[in-house]
Amino acid sequence: MDVASVTLFLALLAVGSQAAVLGLVALRLVARRSAGARRREAALGAALGPWVLPLAFAVALTATLGSLYLSEVARFPPCKLCWYQRIAVYPLVPLLGLASWRRDRGVRPYALALIALGLPISLYHVVLERVPSIEGGACDPLNPCTIIWVQRFGYLTIPAMAATAQALVGALLLLVRSPVPPADAAEPPAPLEVA
Amino acid sequence: MAKPTNPKAGPRARPATKASTPQPAPARPGWAVPAIVVGVVVALLVVAVVATRAGDGDGADQAEGGAEVAQTRPVTVSGAALSTLGSSGSDPAIGTVAPTVTGTTFDGQPVQVGGTGRPALVLFVAHWCPHCQREVPLLAPELGRITPPGVDFLAVSTSVRDGGANYPPSAWLKEEEWPRPVLADDKDGSAAQAYGLSSFPYYVVLGGDGKVVARDSGEKTVAEVEALLRKASTPT
Repeated sequence: MDVASVTLFLALLAVGSQAAVLGLVALRLVARRSAGARRREAALGAALGPWVLPLAFAVALTATLGSLYLSEVARFPPCKLCWYQRIAVYPLVPLLGLASWRRDRGVRPYALALIALGLPISLYHVVLERVPSIEGGACDPLNPCTIIWVQRFGYLTIPAMAATAQALVGALLLLVRSPVPPADAAEPPAPLEVA
Repeated sequence: MAKPTNPKAGPRARPATKASTPQPAPARPGWAVPAIVVGVVVALLVVAVVATRAGDGDGADQAEGGAEVAQTRPVTVSGAALSTLGSSGSDPAIGTVAPTVTGTTFDGQPVQVGGTGRPALVLFVAHWCPHCQREVPLLAPELGRITPPGVDFLAVSTSVRDGGANYPPSAWLKEEEWPRPVLADDKDGSAAQAYGLSSFPYYVVLGGDGKVVARDSGEKTVAEVEALLRKASTPT
């Protein structure tokens, strides 16, 4: 596969991920008012619930491998904002991988904290690509954050895809209501034994 | 008989400790979800490969005709390089003789920057720079009107990044109907370094004696570029 195929594949995944995020958010909003939507949400939770952590892990892994491919194989050097996003996304792989292996939904706050750091940076990077004048009227000749290495479907750039991956991980962790209780709630702490 | 509890086990082992509070056994997760996800991913992979090989996948950002044209070309620099333009303060390069850069345009025509004996405004652009992408179409239709007689307006395409946005620069400048000669800098950006480029777009005003009259960088309005051209045409 050449670079064009890989970037198109990543862009198609991003489009699908955006549809999934929008679908999850819409279902949650509608379920507040509609009993039918609540039933659908419960059915979705029953089907997806056991797979939420593996799916979130797969999304984080795909984002990480895609990022490494673009910098190490396609030779698109990451800029400063790209590195900040990497700092937030790469740790999701071991974090969610281990949690999905242990079926530990207690990982959610830790993963969501990383996304809370990374997602705004990705969104700012997208805005900067569209409105480069917010960081001045000239381009740094070395490695500016305004440079667009990949653009698919007219709007999907690398930070836009990074934002999409983080949004999907966040939506999976926040919005899918699993019938399986979180691991830390499954078992109350043992009472202290008093001698 | 209850299984012994392993204190080191993770949540996988926890149901065994819940014997005192009976709960329904968790449903074994079906494989429909991962099967669907894997199927969709494989289908998208096939679509990406087929669409790219067909050459019309998504209207990818390859410009027509660019592949046959060399985007960087050898240049020859003679004379001392100018210092890099600082962000503020006086410019020590003003009044010094600019180096002479000889090279070719994208279609192989010889072109020279500096040392021509004619006043000139030299604009350095990078195809991937969004500010250059806005500056070039702003200036292209106005150059004939704002350039004083006897003043050359030259452009230099430099910092070429294969695969970057708006690549290749030859197709970009052709599409924008850039009306003046464009020197294609070499892979190392020798012309840009010789002229002390600090950021894009980058302007150097040369007097008829070959000395630097002014330097500036960043997006300009047409009126600001016209003022730079007037500086070039004004005898020092």
